[in-house]
Amino acid sequence: MEKILKKNSFPQWVKKFIDYDIYAPVEDGDFWNYSLIEDPKNINLDFLTTVLSPKKIIFPQKEILLEFSTSNNGDLELKERLPEEKTKVVFGVRPCDARALTLTDKVFGGDFIDPYYQKRRDQTLLIGLTCNTPPSPHCFCTSVEGSPHSTDGLDILMTDLRDKYYVESFSGKGEQLINLGKGLFETPKAKDKKELEKIKADSEKKIKRQIKNIKKIPKILKGMFESPFWDEESLSCLRCGICTYLCPTCHCFDINDEVISSSPLEGQRVRTWDTCQFPNFTMHSSGHNPRPDRASRLRQRIFHKFQYFVEQFGDFQCIGCGRCIAKCPVGIDIIEVLEKVDKYGA
Amino acid sequence: MVSLADLKQNARNILKEGKVKYIIGYQSSSNGLRPVPAFIKAAEEVDKLIWNPLCVYNLTRFLVDEKRRKAREKNPDERPVGLIVKGCDSRAVNVLLQEKYIDRDNVYIIGLSCEDKGVVDEKKLARKFKEKKIEKIEFGKKNQFSVTTEKGKVEVAAEEILADRCLECSANVPVIYDVLLGEKTPRKLENPYESLKKIESLSKKEKWAFWKDQLDKCIRCYACRSACPMCYCDECVVDSINLAVTAETTAQEKEQKIRWIEKSPQLSENFVYHFVRAIHLAGRCVDCGECERVCPLDIPIRLLNKKLEKEAKELFEYVVGFNPEQPSLISCFRDEDPQDFIR
Repeated sequence: MEKILKKNSFPQWVKKFIDYDIYAPVEDGDFWNYSLIEDPKNINLDFLTTVLSPKKIIFPQKEILLEFSTSNNGDLELKERLPEEKTKVVFGVRPCDARALTLTDKVFGGDFIDPYYQKRRDQTLLIGLTCNTPPSPHCFCTSVEGSPHSTDGLDILMTDLRDKYYVESFSGKGEQLINLGKGLFETPKAKDKKELEKIKADSEKKIKRQIKNIKKIPKILKGMFESPFWDEESLSCLRCGICTYLCPTCHCFDINDEVISSSPLEGQRVRTWDTCQFPNFTMHSSGHNPRPDRASRLRQRIFHKFQYFVEQFGDFQCIGCGRCIAKCPVGIDIIEVLEKVDKYGA
Repeated sequence: MVSLADLKQNARNILKEGKVKYIIGYQSSSNGLRPVPAFIKAAEEVDKLIWNPLCVYNLTRFLVDEKRRKAREKNPDERPVGLIVKGCDSRAVNVLLQEKYIDRDNVYIIGLSCEDKGVVDEKKLARKFKEKKIEKIEFGKKNQFSVTTEKGKVEVAAEEILADRCLECSANVPVIYDVLLGEKTPRKLENPYESLKKIESLSKKEKWAFWKDQLDKCIRCYACRSACPMCYCDECVVDSINLAVTAETTAQEKEQKIRWIEKSPQLSENFVYHFVRAIHLAGRCVDCGECERVCPLDIPIRLLNKKLEKEAKELFEYVVGFNPEQPSLISCFRDEDPQDFIR
């Protein structure tokens, strides 16, 4: 379905979403982040790359898996806790961030379905926004099989045509949302369609950063596991979790039992984000750590995204949002690392 | 003004003479305005070195990595590391010396004076120049930075874009060094705790609301801890798995390790993390401001450390990082220490 929505009709459309929790980018000081929206008037779709992607909505940093307690007769009671929330609609999803979820779907929704992830995923509608201009100077989606107007993973894609939005839907749920706003939408004219196509074509040209020869990377990496290259590249790495926590495709987690009361016993089994960049991520209970230094941890991040994931699923596990580059405290640049890998191979 | 040519010459000489095994400094980044740390191993590479108002890093942090790396090597190179420091960074070296974490002969210190200025806060810079693309930023004339954008070069009053910590800095000239470049410019510091004024004026309730909002944002990426030269513990209390487990640690010992903090990024645990860190840095933090700079969610972490710095000064006349021989704040007791707060 393709429709036109005038910008001044946008809040009226959103007002119809009474059965949904609405999320959109909100400006907080110097940065943007997705937050729950109370008043549709507060939605501002002229935003820069958010610190965290909508990953945090579908794969929250803390997920309670089950609750445990002892009953009066001393028996241990376990209660599974699947997410029970209203269906969510996220506005202003960048096409790259939506693609990221389609990659995580392969992990949590593949042969073994993760019920917590899947439930949130099924209950979240993603309304994308074409990046007419790149929201970050470090955008490189076109190098990793994405585009500023990619529709992968989206229910709806909106494209800003100055005073109106061109609205395209790609799922039944997306169509239902458009139908909620009956009367507000118009049928696109030929000139709207032409303008849309021009904006989409231009948007690709505006992506400044690129990884050349990306196709060759997985193969080159395969021969680089033992290379001293990683020692050199990781010299300035501080071993913080920024690159992976902000990454829309990183999905590693830890599971812990968190005790609220020890007598009578009461607690929760929780899943929290974890990262290969922390030394204790691979710490064995014997005291041995197979990834003992920064070199092996940087290597793991690059290998997972551009080697292991490619071998396993046929895709790069990177969508080119540039968050890891923009926020690395010491300026480690994944594009630069991959270009050096390419040179190393040559 | 610090002469880059002198800096390179000094670096070249010590590398040629084999005085140091490598030099930690700043080099330009291929993709942005802010430089990145440089690890220079050969005299031919010294031309990479740069010095400009965005050399924000406290490179002293890398002495911690150096020590760890050395501990893993079978036949470590015992020569010192060349380290380029600003005033604040040099104070961090003093704390590492005071705590006997490093020895004086582990490091050859090249001090650069910030003179009448300091480093620039990238966020203030971005706010001031908004849409304009900044191409270059240089130390300008007295109390000024020169900023070049596509529209040309403009002079900006230093105080407009200086990092907060530089506005409250008491060591614009390095306090320990083997060689010093730049002038020992005297600088008056009228409001050393200016940034605390606002938060100190709040009521308890308002303070609680402020920190609740701020710490609720924390995603526990631990970048603040990672960037801090004083956070060098092999085992940090906030890690739910203990790093100091060896093959000899028994199952019972592991079981009995106390978990001080849960991994869930919720307000209570975030408070524990940040407050424990602040207390552990009391009398040790040199206010290099790196924790706050690296925070992806702009949590004003520096306020916590600055407050404790002020308390240490007012209660114990203790200042950090000027004298590597002084007894540490936490581990010394003097008869004249105030006791009225002990109940």
